[in-house]
Amino acid sequence: MGEEPRSPVTVERMSVLFRVQHILLMVSLLVLAVTGFALMFHDNWLAAAVIRLEGGVLYRGIIHRSAAVFLMAQLVYHAFYMLCSREGKRELREVWLTRRDFDDFFLAMRFNLGMDSKYPRFGRYGYKEKFQYWGATTGVFLISVTGIILWAETFSMRYLPKVVLDLTLIVHGYQGLLAFVILLFWHLYIVHLHPSVFPMNRAWLTGKVDAEWLRQEHPAEYEKLKGEGVI
Amino acid sequence: MRGTFLAAAIFIALGVIAQGFWFPADARISLEKCTLCHGKPEFRKILVDGKIRDLFATADSLKGSVHEKKTCVDCHFDVSEIPHRQRPQRVTCTHCHYKGNAEGAPQSDAYLEYFGSVHGNAIAGGNTKAPLCQDCHGNHSIHKTKDPTSAVSRGNVAETCGRCHIEIYAVYKTSIHGVAVSQGIPEAPSCTGCHGEHKIYAHKDPKSTVFATHVAAQCSTCHGSVSIMSKYGIEAEQVTTYQNSFHGVASGFGSRTVANCASCHGVHDIRPSEDPRSMVNPKNIPATCGKCHPGANPNFAVGKMHVDSHSKESGIIYYTAQFFKYLTIGTMLALIAHIFLDMYGRTRRLRGDK
Repeated sequence: MGEEPRSPVTVERMSVLFRVQHILLMVSLLVLAVTGFALMFHDNWLAAAVIRLEGGVLYRGIIHRSAAVFLMAQLVYHAFYMLCSREGKRELREVWLTRRDFDDFFLAMRFNLGMDSKYPRFGRYGYKEKFQYWGATTGVFLISVTGIILWAETFSMRYLPKVVLDLTLIVHGYQGLLAFVILLFWHLYIVHLHPSVFPMNRAWLTGKVDAEWLRQEHPAEYEKLKGEGVI
Repeated sequence: MRGTFLAAAIFIALGVIAQGFWFPADARISLEKCTLCHGKPEFRKILVDGKIRDLFATADSLKGSVHEKKTCVDCHFDVSEIPHRQRPQRVTCTHCHYKGNAEGAPQSDAYLEYFGSVHGNAIAGGNTKAPLCQDCHGNHSIHKTKDPTSAVSRGNVAETCGRCHIEIYAVYKTSIHGVAVSQGIPEAPSCTGCHGEHKIYAHKDPKSTVFATHVAAQCSTCHGSVSIMSKYGIEAEQVTTYQNSFHGVASGFGSRTVANCASCHGVHDIRPSEDPRSMVNPKNIPATCGKCHPGANPNFAVGKMHVDSHSKESGIIYYTAQFFKYLTIGTMLALIAHIFLDMYGRTRRLRGDK
C-alpha cells in the first residue's frame, strides 16, 4: 500500500462523541483487565506485583469496581444514545446485525479459501466491525451481570445457592479473558495489523479515514457517500 | 622425730589451705545437709496469701529427671550456708543452658527465643506471674519433651499452659484438637503445635505464628498435608481452596480483616462441622458468616464452601471451567486462523483489483 499515492480526500468515520466514548471505553476496559486478571492469576508473580502496585487487594477491588461502575454507566449512556439521538439511530441502523452479515462472513471465508471468486462488498460496517461491536456490547452487559452478583456477595449468598456464586466467579473471570482474547486478536487485527491500516487506523483519534481506504475496504459505503456527493 | 612432725604439720596445713582455695569452704553443701530440713515431708511454708508452698525435696526428687546427676547447689548455687538465711533466688537455667556450655547440658540456644517471646517480655517488664523456664518445664522433675511424663510432652503441655491460661485450656480440652491429643493421636496439635514453643507471641503480634495473616499457613502445616489428613479421613484440599478464594487471596496479600481459617472454624474451640457446637455447623453458619457479612441467613449454609474448580469432584463447576477454558483457546485459534485467512484472501483480492 505504501507505494500508492494516498488520496488526500478524507471522510469522517467517527464523530467526536464516538471518539470520546471509545477512549473512555478503552481506559475502563484496560483498568478492568489489569485489576481483574491480577486477581484471577494471583499466583503469578507479575499479577502479585500488580496487586501490590494497586495498593493490595482492598484497593484493587475498589479500583476494579469503580472502573466497572464507569463502564456500566457508559453502556447505559451508549444504549440511550444509540436509541434516542439522531446520530445514534443512524449508526444503529448501520451496525444492526442482519442475515447479510453472516452471509458476508461465509462468503469472505470462501473467497479467502479460494472457493469463491467474489469478496463481499461491505457497507459502512462489515461483518468484522459488527461482530466486534455486538460482541463487546453483549460481553459488557453479561460481565456486568456476573460482576454485580459477585459484588453484592452477601445479597447473593442470601438468595442464591453457593454453587451459583462459584459458577459466577468462574464465568466472570473467563468472560473477561474471552473479551480480552477477542479484543487482542480481532480488534488488534482490524485496526492495527490489517495491512491497509498498519500500524494503526487513526480514525479513533482524528475521526477521519482516507476515501481510498474506504473504496477498498468498504466499497458500498464509498459508493453511497459518492452518490450523496460527500466525496 | 620433731623435724618429721613439723614437716607433717606443715604438709597438712598446706593441704587444708590448698583445699580452701579450690573449694570455698561452704560451696559444696552436701545433699545430706539440705535434706536435714527439706527431707521432712511436712516441711512447708505458709505464704502471705495463705497458699502453702511445699518445700519437701529429697534425693528422690531428681530421680529419673534429666538432672538426676546434679545436686541441690548445682542449680541453687546462691545457697552458701546451711541453714540459708534468705529465700534462695529462683533458679537461673541459663547458667548451664546455653550453646557452648561445659556442664553437659544440651547444646542449644532455644532459650534465646524465649527472651523475645511474650513470656520473656512479660518477665522483663516486671510481671512476676509470667513463666520462667521452670514454670513450664517443671522444677525437680524435668524430663525430655519426648518423655510422656514431661510437663511439656505432647500429652501434658496443654495442661501445663492451662495452669495459667485456665479458660482457654477448658475450651481447648473439648475441641477436636484437645480430644484428639487426649486420645493419643500423634499429629494432633497441642498449644505449642500452633503457637510455637519458646517463641510464643501474642496473636496480635505480626511475628506470631497465629497472627491473622499467618493462620492459614500455620493450619496448613498439618491440614495441607495429604499424608497426615488421609489417615483421619479429612480433606487436605481445604487449604488450597481457601488460598484461591477471595478470603485466601486477600489474606495472602496481607489483609488482616479478611476471614482466615480461625474466623470461621474457631480458635481454641474448633469442632467438626457435624458437632452442633461447631461454628461451621449449618445451624451456626448464619451467625458465623454474619460476623463479617451482616444479614447472613441460613442460605449461607447451603452448598459446599471449599470448592476447587480444578477438581472433577466439583462437578458442574469443574466442567464449566473446562468449557470456558477450551472455548477461550478455541476462540483464540479461530481468531488467529481468521487473521491469516483474511490476509491471504486480501492479497488475492488486491491482485484481482488491479
